Amino acid sequence: MSAAKVKMREKKMRNQPTSVQYPSSPLSVESSTQNGGDTPVTGGDVGDGPSDTHPSTERQKSSHHQSGWVRGHQKDGGSYAKEMPKYITAGGFARARAAEVSAMLKAVTKTTGSCHVSAALPKHMRRRAMSHNTKRLPYRLREVANRMRQKSLQAGSKKKKEQAKNKSRKARRRHGNLLLEFNRRQRKNVWLETHIWHAKRFHMVKKWGYCLGDRPTYKCYRPCYRAMSTHCLLQDLSYYCCIELQGEEDKLLAALSQLTNKETGPTFAAALCISGRRQGSVVMYRAGHYPLQPLGPVTFLWRPRTQGSSHRQLWIWAHPTIKQDLLPELQRVCQCCEAVVPPVVPVVTPAEVAPTPEPELKPPKTHGAIQISRTKRKRNCKDASGPPAKKILGDGSRSPTTPVTWRSSSTGIVINDLTMEIVRYRLIGPQSHSVLAETLEAATDCEEMNKSQPSPLWWPEHCKDESKMKLHQQQADIFHILKDIYSTGELPSGAVLGLAVDDPRLTLPTKKVKALPCVKQAQEVDEEKRRELMLRGVPEHCCQSFLWEQSVRDNVTDNKISEQELNRMRSDVLVPGSRLSPTPLQGRVPILLVHQPGKQVGHEMSSWGAGWDLLLPKGWGMAFWIPLVYRGVRIGGLNMSLKHSQNKGAPNFPHDYPDCPAGIGFQEEQEAELLDKFKRRPPAKRTNYIKHGCLAPFRCPWQQLAEEWELITSEGGEEQKRDSQTQTTTDADTVMEEEMTSHTAVTKPQSRFTVLRSRKSLRLLSGWCRPTTSKGQRPCRAGEVPPLDSSAMTSFLTEHGMSLVWVRLSLLSKGKPELHAMVFVPSTEDLKLLSNKSDSSGPQELAHKNHFKSRMKRRKKGSKKTATSSLSSDKTEGKGSDLPSASEPNLTTSSEDPKSSSESSTDLIFGLWPDPLPSITSHCSRVTLGWVTQGDFSLSAGCGEALGFVSVAGLVNTLLNQPKEHRGILLLRNPTSLHYRFAKINIEV
Amino acid sequence: MRTPYNASNILLPEHAENKQPAVEMDPVEYTLRKRLPRKLPKRRNDVYVNMKTDFRAQLARCQKLLEGGGHREICVHGLGLAINRAINIALQLQASSQGALQLAANTSTVELVDDLEPEDPDEAGEPMTRTRNNSAIHIKVFYPDPQ
Repeated sequence: MSAAKVKMREKKMRNQPTSVQYPSSPLSVESSTQNGGDTPVTGGDVGDGPSDTHPSTERQKSSHHQSGWVRGHQKDGGSYAKEMPKYITAGGFARARAAEVSAMLKAVTKTTGSCHVSAALPKHMRRRAMSHNTKRLPYRLREVANRMRQKSLQAGSKKKKEQAKNKSRKARRRHGNLLLEFNRRQRKNVWLETHIWHAKRFHMVKKWGYCLGDRPTYKCYRPCYRAMSTHCLLQDLSYYCCIELQGEEDKLLAALSQLTNKETGPTFAAALCISGRRQGSVVMYRAGHYPLQPLGPVTFLWRPRTQGSSHRQLWIWAHPTIKQDLLPELQRVCQCCEAVVPPVVPVVTPAEVAPTPEPELKPPKTHGAIQISRTKRKRNCKDASGPPAKKILGDGSRSPTTPVTWRSSSTGIVINDLTMEIVRYRLIGPQSHSVLAETLEAATDCEEMNKSQPSPLWWPEHCKDESKMKLHQQQADIFHILKDIYSTGELPSGAVLGLAVDDPRLTLPTKKVKALPCVKQAQEVDEEKRRELMLRGVPEHCCQSFLWEQSVRDNVTDNKISEQELNRMRSDVLVPGSRLSPTPLQGRVPILLVHQPGKQVGHEMSSWGAGWDLLLPKGWGMAFWIPLVYRGVRIGGLNMSLKHSQNKGAPNFPHDYPDCPAGIGFQEEQEAELLDKFKRRPPAKRTNYIKHGCLAPFRCPWQQLAEEWELITSEGGEEQKRDSQTQTTTDADTVMEEEMTSHTAVTKPQSRFTVLRSRKSLRLLSGWCRPTTSKGQRPCRAGEVPPLDSSAMTSFLTEHGMSLVWVRLSLLSKGKPELHAMVFVPSTEDLKLLSNKSDSSGPQELAHKNHFKSRMKRRKKGSKKTATSSLSSDKTEGKGSDLPSASEPNLTTSSEDPKSSSESSTDLIFGLWPDPLPSITSHCSRVTLGWVTQGDFSLSAGCGEALGFVSVAGLVNTLLNQPKEHRGILLLRNPTSLHYRFAKINIEV
Repeated sequence: MRTPYNASNILLPEHAENKQPAVEMDPVEYTLRKRLPRKLPKRRNDVYVNMKTDFRAQLARCQKLLEGGGHREICVHGLGLAINRAINIALQLQASSQGALQLAANTSTVELVDDLEPEDPDEAGEPMTRTRNNSAIHIKVFYPDPQ
């Protein structure tokens, strides 16, 4: 009987008297009491009398194992199959029947099941909504029903109070209440300033402590790609964390140099970056641990030098998952451990909103209206009891007492955590600068009359300084030149431009119009200027911006004109829709424009996806967002930034950093998510990954891969050595080196794998791969590369034997690589097939045998028979059976006897290999090299493209063994398919 | 009115093989990175020839513009290595039209910008930019006026 049935029955029998229970014991047959003195456990009152006639009550009790009503024929207890009694005692019989009858009567009077009065009525007397309106009931039942209703109401109201919102929707949607609600919801996950805008249009995900838009709810994959490659795609990257470092230049550099290595490219000290003219990017490591323990990639920006001061300011922009590791590391190298406790937050009083110029400007007609509105506002303020809700700007999840500043007494370096203090928007696409040029306008000068009096706002103060205005003029000139440029890719990469702009809400177009470049035949002077800009970039002093100043940022944030105020001012304009003629004084914002280089690696699609980053002080996010959207840009979410980096061929953080802590965490999360999704399907509808020969469809065991390849190469090296010794042709050096490799393999088996990031080695490896155009048609001319031979290989592998390398694979024919597709070494027959008929689609893998099937079955049976057998013994047995198979190099050929392994570990999932995995390199008929971490049909290349990691040792070995014309051809197979596809490998430096 | 013939502004995406590190620079010291050539907005009847797309596809595109697109004239632009292909396309168009089409070729010089990024270990080197020139061709393919 199923649990539900039992429950139902219990409910039904709840009110039944317990005395009538039908005995089903076979023992009762021998005694004569079957018809009379059957006394079950509870029936003592009846069975007392005739107990002398049958002495077996005890026995009955002990054997009585099934009680209660039993319907139908019973296998063991069916009484009529047994012998009939020989005689009946009349007294006993009558008493027993009497008891039954009385029980029956009792049962009849009691209501069963639902206790509703209405349900007790016969059907023809029932009326609609009877329980609601008791007057529809017959009079005799009304009182009971009323009582019941009262009771249920009380219970219901108690429950309801806990759940339901006690306010009406209208009340909830009132501004102040809404704000309170929003503030409450922001406490756990930080909202970006554009959150509400995104939440209306995007699938939101909670990631890294933020609420972020993943992808729009409308279909726009291709439009977004087109926007990236021809127009402009906008993203809100404010969730990136900014860490500010201040101090003496040489001390900062000395501290930071511990975290980086020059082999991976230019670091913090690169001449162009340190002048502040360019944004740099670097991969950070734990202090002194290179090449082990990377933290992740960051971008950084130096503030241009101020004259006669060696005090510098540096912003490091990092992904939120890096920050928690990076911040302690920075504190350690800078010896900044004194947290500066922030003062108790003083309630910032925004400077009076444009008090002086307003009244004169207004026509007298509107005076009354203003008066009314003002009084109204005042009254509202009075009415609002309790603290007025304030919109959270910046990080709402952080408590105000958390320190954000750390100071060092020894080095004088100050570390500032500027998370959520600066809004960062990214515009991707060749037209992004025309969007910017149309949206932004260099700040207009303020009038003479305002200059005389001191102002709480930053801009009027700023206007008084002649040199500052000169600088502003120069910056504005450069910004104007930008309009004459057609494509963002033409600019020097990473250029920085500081600027002060007018409030973009003032120039908001009434309709959404696509911003297009207006390239006109420029005059000679302009042409000269443009050339200068293209060649030299932005001059150093023009990279200065007041966004760097904390005080200016705060001033601008506090004095922002609210949307409401602005709309009121707009409505007061004489000609509707015309521009507010003197720009309100608060409407000047310091910004920073940072050029983002597009695709820089590789030979094709150069500077694809270039664009600009727009940095704003906090609080101004929406004020700039809407005007940008009105210029016809597309908006992308997290999903699009993944596609952006994929088309650029760049690793995306944290997806493609398997050696960083954040990357490892991400992989685990992803595995859990994919496994969960997989398990939700019924077993018959799942992909059987065992049959597809896919050991780990949801994760990539990089460590195991690197170790296995290390082993293979060292074995290969030894074999080679033996060969060479017989031939005695190799010189001693290589032998020595080979020995060294084998030694290192033995001595450091537990060292973790690394990702190869040294530029020099990457360039060497790239040359060995015979770089070609994306589909592998034409070879590209690479610089001179030392030829690949065994000695070069061994010397390379001594350094990077345990490394992985980031590669791009383009499919030669059909196919779309997917996540965690496997990369294989093609056999010589495969390559022959490829050269014979160039359009061959690739070899097939034979379906593997599911050794776990029988084990699965047996386990199922076992669980049916014995409830739960001893788990611990199972586990040890399962492990014992699995371990030898893991150590065996080739599992497909070795007949792993499933019978010997009696029971597998308990977490055996149908269609998945249980842990521990057998040898991954030799599991399939081709040798595994690595896995794909991003794969899709690339719209820019027009073929399937995959990005992923392969083992360096494996790759170099493969390249060495391949003939020259097929060098760099590998096989790719999706986890859900048995079909191998040919792909060309490219390592882009 | 802008004409496509006045040279130095009109360019096409540079051909891939030009993008290799130059040999005359010391490869250890500098990496060469080529910037995109300057672009101008293109009209519907401008065809920029490159070396990546299949020749037949580009030819078909031109034919479509002339026949189905209703244009009386189209301009075929080629830069550097693609000059050859641009000429080839224009001649093929003319040959297939049985003399109905006429050609008018113009040549120009285009200024290209290269970035040289220092690779030195002490990181003191200033990045450089240099300009170099490349040839371009602009072929007008048109139906002559009936008079």
